[in-house]
Amino acid sequence: MEQRVEKLKKIANEIRINTFHAITKAGGGHYGGCLSLPEILTVLYFDSMNVDPKKLKDNSRDRFILSKGHGGPALYATLAARGYFPLSALDELDVPLSKFPKHIDRLKLDAIDVSSGALGQGLSIAVGMAISLKQQKKPNRAYIVLGDGECNSGQVWEAAMSASKYHLSNIIAIVDNNTYQLDGPIETVMPLEPFEKKWKSFGWKTFDIDGHDVKSLINTINKAKEEKSRPTVIIANTIKGKGISFMENATYWHSGTVSKEELNQCLIELEELK
Amino acid sequence: MFDRIGGVKMISEMVSTQETYGKTLVELGDENKDIFALEADLMRCSGSKLFEDKYPDRHLQLGIAEQNLVGVAAGLAAMGRIPYVSTFANFLTQRACDQIVMSLAYNKFNVKLVGSFAGITSGNNGGTHISVCDIAITRCIPNMKVMDPGDCNEFRHAIIAASKDEGPTYIRQAKGPMKTIFDNTHKFEIGKGYKFGDGKDITLVSAGITTSLAMDALATLQKENIKARLIHLPTIKPADSDLIIESAKATGAILTIENHSVLGGLGGLVSEIVSKNYPVIIDSIGLKDTWGLNADIEFQLKYFGFTVENIVKKSKELIAKK
Repeated sequence: MEQRVEKLKKIANEIRINTFHAITKAGGGHYGGCLSLPEILTVLYFDSMNVDPKKLKDNSRDRFILSKGHGGPALYATLAARGYFPLSALDELDVPLSKFPKHIDRLKLDAIDVSSGALGQGLSIAVGMAISLKQQKKPNRAYIVLGDGECNSGQVWEAAMSASKYHLSNIIAIVDNNTYQLDGPIETVMPLEPFEKKWKSFGWKTFDIDGHDVKSLINTINKAKEEKSRPTVIIANTIKGKGISFMENATYWHSGTVSKEELNQCLIELEELK
Repeated sequence: MFDRIGGVKMISEMVSTQETYGKTLVELGDENKDIFALEADLMRCSGSKLFEDKYPDRHLQLGIAEQNLVGVAAGLAAMGRIPYVSTFANFLTQRACDQIVMSLAYNKFNVKLVGSFAGITSGNNGGTHISVCDIAITRCIPNMKVMDPGDCNEFRHAIIAASKDEGPTYIRQAKGPMKTIFDNTHKFEIGKGYKFGDGKDITLVSAGITTSLAMDALATLQKENIKARLIHLPTIKPADSDLIIESAKATGAILTIENHSVLGGLGGLVSEIVSKNYPVIIDSIGLKDTWGLNADIEFQLKYFGFTVENIVKKSKELIAKK
C-alpha cells in the first residue's frame, strides 16, 4: 500500500506540473482550481475507477463527470498520464478548434463522458447515470467532482435530494473544497457552512478529508464503495493553487496569467515538487 | 364525421392529448426498454401515469425541480437511454433553459422534451402558466428539433418519430383535447411541411392547434372565392423551407397563425426564410409581444384573433397589399 501511495503521490505531482505548463503555454487560465485537483483525479483514474484508455466506450466502465469544467487542464494532464493520449497533446490546450478547450467537451474528446462549464449541472447528470445503472442492476458507478463554489447553485441541492430519494449508492461525489471561488473566499461570496451537515441532512453519507492526502482519498473512496443505500459525498479539503506559493489561497489566481518574473519562481517551486 | 378541406379528409372528433401521450409512451416502452418518462409533479397533466403504472422502474418523479429534471434526463441519455421529459411548456423551457442548452443540447444528448399545456391551451390558469416564448427559446438552440403537432394522431407520430431521431427534440403538447384532423394514413416526418390546397392568392401557415382553425378558414376563403393554400408545419425546426419558398413564389403573400408570441416563433421563422429567398408580404396572427390572459381558451382565441373571421380579414388585407 505505502509503495502504491508513494507512486500515486509522484504521479499527482507530475500532473500538477504538467497542468501548470499546459495552462502557462496557453497564455494563462484557471491555475487555482486546476492545481487543487491532481491528487483527487490521480486517485480516481489510477486507483478507484474502473476505466481503461484502451476501452474508451466500454459500457461496463465507471462514468466520470468533472462538474467544475474549468478544471479541464488538470483532467487533460491526468488523462495523458493515464495513457489516453500522449503528453504532447496538452500543447493543444486553448488552441483554436482543438480537442482541448478550457472547459471540457465530450463531442471533441472521446475520453470525456459529459461536457461541462456551466456550473452546478453535473450532479443531476450523475443522478441520471446512476439511475440508469441501478435500473439495469449494473455494478459500475457514477463518479463526479464538484467545485465547492458551484454548490452555491440550487440545482446541486435538487440533485442531492433526488439522489437520496432513489438511494443512489452508486454515486460517489467528491467536492474539491478549495474554499475560494472567482470573486473571493466562499465564506464571503456565499457561505456554505455547515457544509457537511447540509449533505447529511439531504440523506448522503459524508466524509470530510484532506483532499491532497492520497492514502486518505483511496481509503475513503473504498469505504464509499461499500455503502449500499445512500449516495456518498467526500468533502476533500484542498488548497486552491497548491504547489505555487503565491497562488495558494489567493483570489486572483482563480484565473490569471503569470509574468516572466513569476514564471521563474514557479519553475523553482515546481522543481521542488519532483 | 368526415368532410374534405383542401384535399384532406377531416375527422371531427376530439382526442385527449394526455391519453395520447400516455398510450404512446407505453407503446414505445413495450418495444424499447430504454424508454424512460420523467415528470416534475405534473404527471396528471401530461398523461404519463399510464407509463408509470406499467413501467414504474422507468418512470421518474423528480418533483418541482425542473433544472434537475432536465439534468437527470441528460444523465440517462449519456447512458444510451431515451428519456421523455414532461412538464408545462413554460416551466420546462424557461426554468430549465440553461440545462436544456448546456446539459442537453451542447452534449447532443438524445432527450425528448415535451412541453405540456402549450401556449394559450393552458386556458384560465393565468399568464404565469401560458408559454409565449417556448418555441423562440428552443428554436435557436443548436442541435434542437422543435415540433408543434396539429392533432393527436400527429402528436403520437411525433413522439414515435422523436424516439427514432438521434438528438434532443422539443415537442409541444396542447392541454387538449385536440380536434382530429388527420387520419391514420397521415405520414408524419420530422422536417416535412404539409400543403393543403393549391390557391395562388395567399398562403396560410399554421402549426399546432391553429391548423384546424386554418383549415376552417381555408374553407371559408374558398366560399368567398379567394384561392388560398395552407401549409401546416408540425416541425418548426428543421423547417420545410422549400415548401414555404415555393408557396411564397406561388402566392406572393403569407399569413402565419401561431399559438405563441409573434416574435421568434412561426411568424419569425417564415419571415426569415422568405426574406432571404423570395421576399413577399407577411402578416402574423399570434400574441403580439404580450402575455397570455387569465381567461378560458375560447376567450383567448377570440381576443388574440384566432378566428376564421380574422384570418379571412387579414388574408384580404394582405392580398390587397400585394
